[in-house]
Amino acid sequence: MTTDTDTDASAAGYGFTRTQVVTLLTPDAEFAALMQGLWPTSVMQVTHFTRGRRAIETLFNDPPDLLIVDGELSDMPGLDVVSLVKSENVYRQLPVIYVISQQELESGRDWLAAEIDDFLARPLRPAEVRARVLLTLARASRSFDANPLTRLPGNTSIIHRIQELIDRREDFALVYADLDHFKSFNDKYGFSRGDEVLMMTARVIVNTIRSLPGIRSFVGHVGGDDFVFIVPPEVAEDACQRLVATFDNIVPSFYDPEDRERGDIQSTDREGHLRTFPLMAISLAVVFNRDGSLKHYGEASQIAMSLKKKAKENPKSCYVLDQRRGGSPQHTPGLPG
Amino acid sequence: MAEDLRTERKGLILAVKDLPTLPKVLDEVARLVERSDSSTDEVAKLIAMDQVLSAKVLKMVNSPIYGFPGRISSIQHALVLLGFNVLRGIIVSTSVFEIMSENMVGLWEHSLGVALASSTVARAAGLRDPEEYSVAGLLHDLGKVVATVQLPELKGEIEQAVRTRDLTYIEAEKEVLGFGHDRINAWLADHWKLPPNIKEGLSYHHKPHLAQLYPDMACAVHIGDFMARVFEYGFGGDDNAPYLRPEALKRLKLKPADVEGILDHLGEQFLEISDLSFA
Repeated sequence: MTTDTDTDASAAGYGFTRTQVVTLLTPDAEFAALMQGLWPTSVMQVTHFTRGRRAIETLFNDPPDLLIVDGELSDMPGLDVVSLVKSENVYRQLPVIYVISQQELESGRDWLAAEIDDFLARPLRPAEVRARVLLTLARASRSFDANPLTRLPGNTSIIHRIQELIDRREDFALVYADLDHFKSFNDKYGFSRGDEVLMMTARVIVNTIRSLPGIRSFVGHVGGDDFVFIVPPEVAEDACQRLVATFDNIVPSFYDPEDRERGDIQSTDREGHLRTFPLMAISLAVVFNRDGSLKHYGEASQIAMSLKKKAKENPKSCYVLDQRRGGSPQHTPGLPG
Repeated sequence: MAEDLRTERKGLILAVKDLPTLPKVLDEVARLVERSDSSTDEVAKLIAMDQVLSAKVLKMVNSPIYGFPGRISSIQHALVLLGFNVLRGIIVSTSVFEIMSENMVGLWEHSLGVALASSTVARAAGLRDPEEYSVAGLLHDLGKVVATVQLPELKGEIEQAVRTRDLTYIEAEKEVLGFGHDRINAWLADHWKLPPNIKEGLSYHHKPHLAQLYPDMACAVHIGDFMARVFEYGFGGDDNAPYLRPEALKRLKLKPADVEGILDHLGEQFLEISDLSFA
């Protein structure tokens, strides 16, 4: 599918970042006409199939943003199409609206087993169809790449947000956060205790950023113990200092009393040797975009990775600010004293 | 007592939905969280004076939805993890006692006194994280509050037994309810997934010598309870002479000189908060 700037702009008017592609499976020509008339094609591009079988290969090759399936297809039950899509992990996230008759709605069906995301019941009224379609798309975009543990936006949303800010030439500080010694903690205490720490870290980041008054911010979860957040450049250092202090305060609560008392844990390292590891710490690498200094997302992540190495040299929680114009990265201890 | 009556009462107690508090701290916290420049520390300090607000905050942060049940025993940490939005939600949904009895006000003061005394004891004994001892001290009589809210008709009976028959509050509870507030505390702590050290302080402060997992916590709260009664700060529910188990002092390796030091320190602290009132 091609998109030019014009179509993007008009899709954006609806809150979409690009033209939405809808596949409609229905023998009902009137419904197809209704769907095609609701939005300009630059906003919603509706591909209509009158039968089910023909559509499946297209669906699998080039999944749309939304699938609308009529229960009354002539060649196969509509729900079979739905279960075909929903039983494959790669297509599961594709939202499906199922169209049924009033009688079918009254007679009741097993809604929990059907794996559909929403339904429309005949008679189809334009206002309702419009609302259902928009809501279903909005819902899908909210949940599509959220981290399953923390529910924070995932990689696609993160990259998208960063590139958007770069394209708009907005000043920002992008902070990469990760935990030191998380692996040894996981090895010793198990994954579910590790997940507790990730949930805590997410919450600490979100609330620390939110406690900075009156700023626009973004928090995402790359995966595992990697998080990112975006704040205005002028508050980045303050945010890092607060984050380091709060994290260091809270993390001992996640250890067993003996380890907490001792201030370290015994765990096996990558070579299988029993080793002593300090309590977990948070490392922060801060990349600035000022006056459009960054051109691409990849640039930001590359700089961040080299800063992260620097931050990791310090076994304690700390942050490193990108000082590209001023020479080498500035290494800053987390807490005074 | 019949097992089914006990089960029924336990069920009623754990079903507590609306735990009211006294209006004064609630109003102050509400004012503070509406201001954009309030710090978490300020708010935490205030909440740490009110046993019901503290219990609500810890219950919420330790609930499974946040993903780390039983881990957080500090009010300050709880507030950071919950955030001001959630805290505002707790504040607006908290009601106040319709009738504020003198005994209730006394119990709030007593709880604050025990919080102060328990952390002072913990510091004197060289224990780590004395604030956690303060939290356990603050919540040590929470079972009394919950029983009052959930079984109001029996509350009168307990108070009458204390008045007319020279029983301690916990003896009267055992007679009227069939169990004491220490047992209620243990149920609540389990049900709300409070951290195990806090639970131990809440459920063993009357019998610290039997505490298995965190005896230091039980002993510190036991001694704290005793001290607050010695100073007659607040009202713990009865006027009987307070008792002190020597095992608790022994366990924390507190010598008479240490106890004197604690008493001196507490004397000053209680004087400092003497104008503070919940009424």
